[in-house]
Amino acid sequence: MFSFTKNQEILEISGIKIGGQPGIYPTVLFGGLFFRGEPNFQNAKQQIDNMMNLSNRLGNPAIPDFFIQKEEYVEKIVNFIKENIPEKSPFSIDIIDPSLKIKTLEFLDKKNLLSRTIYNSIHVGIKDEEYNALKKYTPEMAIIVAFNPKDKSPDGKIEVLQNGAHLIDTGLLDIAKNIGIKKILIDTAAMAPGDNSGASIAAIPVIKEEYGFPTGCAIHNVVEKSKWLKDFETARKSVDASSNINIPLFGGDFAIFGPMNNAELVFPIIAWQDILISEYAESYFGITPDSSHPRRKLF
Amino acid sequence: MEKAKPSVIGSYPLIIDNMELMNAYFNQTSFSWDKYIKSAVDDMINSGIEMISDGQTRDSFVNIFTRKLKGCRIRDRTEIIDNIQYNGPITIEDQKYVRRLIPKEIKLIGVITGPYTLMKSSVDLFYKDEKKVAYDFAYALKNEIQILQSYVDMISIDEPFFSMGIPEYGNELIKILTNDINCPTRLHVCGDISKVIPDILDMPVDILSHEFKASPKLFDAFAQYDVTKDICLGCVQSDNIRIESVDEIKEHIKKGIDIFNGKITQIAPDCGQRLLPRDLAFQKLKNLVKAGEEIYG
Repeated sequence: MFSFTKNQEILEISGIKIGGQPGIYPTVLFGGLFFRGEPNFQNAKQQIDNMMNLSNRLGNPAIPDFFIQKEEYVEKIVNFIKENIPEKSPFSIDIIDPSLKIKTLEFLDKKNLLSRTIYNSIHVGIKDEEYNALKKYTPEMAIIVAFNPKDKSPDGKIEVLQNGAHLIDTGLLDIAKNIGIKKILIDTAAMAPGDNSGASIAAIPVIKEEYGFPTGCAIHNVVEKSKWLKDFETARKSVDASSNINIPLFGGDFAIFGPMNNAELVFPIIAWQDILISEYAESYFGITPDSSHPRRKLF
Repeated sequence: MEKAKPSVIGSYPLIIDNMELMNAYFNQTSFSWDKYIKSAVDDMINSGIEMISDGQTRDSFVNIFTRKLKGCRIRDRTEIIDNIQYNGPITIEDQKYVRRLIPKEIKLIGVITGPYTLMKSSVDLFYKDEKKVAYDFAYALKNEIQILQSYVDMISIDEPFFSMGIPEYGNELIKILTNDINCPTRLHVCGDISKVIPDILDMPVDILSHEFKASPKLFDAFAQYDVTKDICLGCVQSDNIRIESVDEIKEHIKKGIDIFNGKITQIAPDCGQRLLPRDLAFQKLKNLVKAGEEIYG
């Protein structure tokens, strides 16, 4: 059971609050839309509506995470966001290729969407072109991936946030601040089994205690890489969804839970876990849950 | 006159593609550091260096060791948070890899950052006793050296902080490292060591390595003593992008020969070359080798 001595930042984007001491705000859930080939926007809309309904029923905020892999889809996906994501809802863009990131930022700016954008992500791969684009088109919020190839332990994650682990000239936190991004989420960089996979969970309380920033990760990636689980097909999906409970259990604030079509499993599991945490946080630390919390919504 | 082997001190510059590291993370695939080690080793061999290192490409010369020792954690600097203990091989796998890459006639240097320098570079949050920290670093490093000696041709101990003053227990620290070690040992202390030369000359190592190019006054300082140990002569600067010509290096080596006679067994850059641009580091090594060839044949 966690209560941090460091002041915990509570960040807000388009009405969604992320962060704080465990037990106040519900865990924020990022559901991914991974388009294979030409995006199927009809299916995407259906999945988003389904996730938003679950969010409304249970209280856990939902954020659609758009994975963009090809240049020809950038404009189409940004237009879809503009037309289909409610004006008061945030979304995240999840892109690996730096040139696609820059192009997407330009389109988001054109469509006046940057104030609702969570940029996923800033990491040690950042180069001048991306940095300059972020300075010009600054998103409201950014996820920093605390991946340190030299040291995958919680200490290594702190190191890359603080000084860049000698891979870049400054720490990732300073990079985000120098760009002008005021709202920062920390992703503790889940690794494959056998490669310090548990460190992404252990790092959550360490980073929250060190910096007070909202912290979480994509722990389901560890399940995806657990090859032995392929022999247990029935359990695999449950394990994938329930892996996310580790995040709030260790004081974390958000889970990037993988494909959005897992929302029906993930949302009730996390709502259940949040209620459990809220009950002990209130009885032990006197922390009352926000009115949006599943414990308030469901009882 | 016996030929002085062209050698290096330790680190070598490299360009890391951070996006490649991130792609490995995003795809959850393993990433090997070998290609960076190989690029440093290839440059050293292609320049004609005969005693090479692994380039210390993985990390800063302090963090390479403290990252893997128990009791240390890395923040802005290394922080000591518990008893310092050896926690298993640190540089051994890289040395084995380099050994597989290089021809038999090329010698390999196992570089160890010394215990005093590790202590001085760290923030002690546990012992509150500098001497104890330095000794525990020494005992931990000894474990590494005992394994390392089977894979390298020389152990080089890097103690730059000795240039600021050697503690009364400095000799004992080095003795912990070199005692019962079967391969030759070298102590590298860069900077202006003119005030600590008597202590340096007493160190229990076979070869002394210093920054003679950046600190030419060391020639005069050493001339006042009877030097019985072999010398690794720093001949090109590691903190200056100006490339020394072959003739300039030859003059420098000749000056060294005047002072040390036949005691110069290695010629090298003044220090690790990590902070130089790679092309300049390479050119400096080439000129060093050429100068050595013209003098020693």
